[in-house]
Amino acid sequence: MRRLYLILSEGRLMARTEKVLNAKETVERFMKDGCFVAIGGMHMHNNTMALIREVIRQKVGIGRLITSPSGSVNADMLIGAGLVDELYCAYVGMEHLGLAPNFRKFAESGKLKVRECDEAFVTYTLRAGASSMPFIPLPRGLEATSVPSMNEDDYRWTSDPFGGEKVACLPALQPDVALVHCQKADEYGNAIFEGSKFNDFLMVKASDKVILQVEEVVPHEYMLENAMRVDVPAFLVDAVVNTPFGCHPTSSHRYYRYDEDHLKEYLKACKEDFDAYLEKYVRGPKDNEEYLEVIGGREKAKELMEGGVPW
Amino acid sequence: MVEVKTAELMASVLSKHLEDGEVAIMGAFSGIPMLASRLAQMTHAPNLSYITGGSGAVNPLLEPLPASSCDDRLLKAECVLPLSDVIDFEARTEIDIFFAGGLQIDERGNCNLIGIGRPGEIKFRGPGSVGLPFLSRARRFAVYAMNHSARTFVQKVDFVSGPGFVDGKDFPGGGPSLVVTPICVMDFDEERMRLKSVHPGVSVDDVVQNTGFELRTPDDVPQTGLPTEEELELMREIDPLGVARNSL
Repeated sequence: MRRLYLILSEGRLMARTEKVLNAKETVERFMKDGCFVAIGGMHMHNNTMALIREVIRQKVGIGRLITSPSGSVNADMLIGAGLVDELYCAYVGMEHLGLAPNFRKFAESGKLKVRECDEAFVTYTLRAGASSMPFIPLPRGLEATSVPSMNEDDYRWTSDPFGGEKVACLPALQPDVALVHCQKADEYGNAIFEGSKFNDFLMVKASDKVILQVEEVVPHEYMLENAMRVDVPAFLVDAVVNTPFGCHPTSSHRYYRYDEDHLKEYLKACKEDFDAYLEKYVRGPKDNEEYLEVIGGREKAKELMEGGVPW
Repeated sequence: MVEVKTAELMASVLSKHLEDGEVAIMGAFSGIPMLASRLAQMTHAPNLSYITGGSGAVNPLLEPLPASSCDDRLLKAECVLPLSDVIDFEARTEIDIFFAGGLQIDERGNCNLIGIGRPGEIKFRGPGSVGLPFLSRARRFAVYAMNHSARTFVQKVDFVSGPGFVDGKDFPGGGPSLVVTPICVMDFDEERMRLKSVHPGVSVDDVVQNTGFELRTPDDVPQTGLPTEEELELMREIDPLGVARNSL
């Protein structure tokens, strides 16, 4: 049973705010044209695809995009829809399935500004952003690569005030909005990663607004009983979007596998007619429920959940 | 005896390169290094620890070995950490051996995942440098290449994602120690790549013709040692789906 926590305030009974919203109103409310967006998940896992499809439906332009750090179809689809101006690029690709076609095309043609970086960059800049450090110095070694010279906006040099050596520094990043997948959340935004946490909590801490796309909303009591396992406290969260199977075609750790056939279809569509893909799978369906019908409905979901969790 | 697949041969060579008590790490598309690490644990290196990159999993049991480095099947492990902790280990030089790869690899072991071309004029955009810049802080690193051609093995990489041997370096990394490809094994002599052995059916000339720089070639180049039957059996047990075995 769900219970509302009532508090006394100036003589009136006030109910605690529930943050469960649908994808459409969440994107309308929290994502402004030109915003700086952080997207969680790694490779073909825990990508917030239901939210990304909604961003494409609403044509919200993204000024800067950072992924956590290995971007996949999440970044590639937004880039292919023509919505991304600048990308912090540590990695965008499809791992064993190949390179990311839209990213390649837009980067090679110069339509996408690439801020060259690496996974340490993503970790350190968000770590600095999360604790409001003015900037963060790097351990030695990264200067032996081409990365700093290819990104003079973000790599600067100073001398170590203690030892005097030259050190590379990065800015603190505080994205406007983070889109992060948790498997479970309650109605207030307390949330649990049931699988890998990747860099996603760092992203949550660094960003101004946090939108969680979840597989299931569980009663608040569940979090009270499992407080030691709760990864994200509610006060950091602005919206909880309940979209079962919303990470498709990527996986949701310990809930379902990535859909390799669909990812291959995506890669093929990028080379042939990407707009037709967007029409069929993104702009056509008005929400995630309709999307699930297009990809084969509950049957497909069942297939990807087969075997369940491995333990 | 069953037929030895090239990927299994590569995994067995990499496995022998791992020592008991070491800490190894690998990133995306790492079926062969995963197989090598688990095989080493089951044979000569029970105290080896290995981390499968982005998943944060330490010593996954690989039951079974999955295709993706962040697959949830890897979480059947002895510890699972957030990625930021894994980055800390890399920075702190807790990693003995890093597995690396590249679109281009040069004779000093530099690896490039950024692209082909010149700054501002990248003709072929690669995926990005991911964890490779931290090769400079691993005690040593091994390169595994999924193909061996003069386009991959070049005189000098267009961009450096992962530094190989660098002149005048002042960082803790020891540089590259071994390179394993589908046709041969190479090590380093005076910080330059040198042919160590050729796989069965491959000649020294095949390797030289497919390498884009003047490869140091000793007079006598042996054939790469094959995995034993026991090793093969173990590898088939670790990788029943053939994910690593058929990845080439």
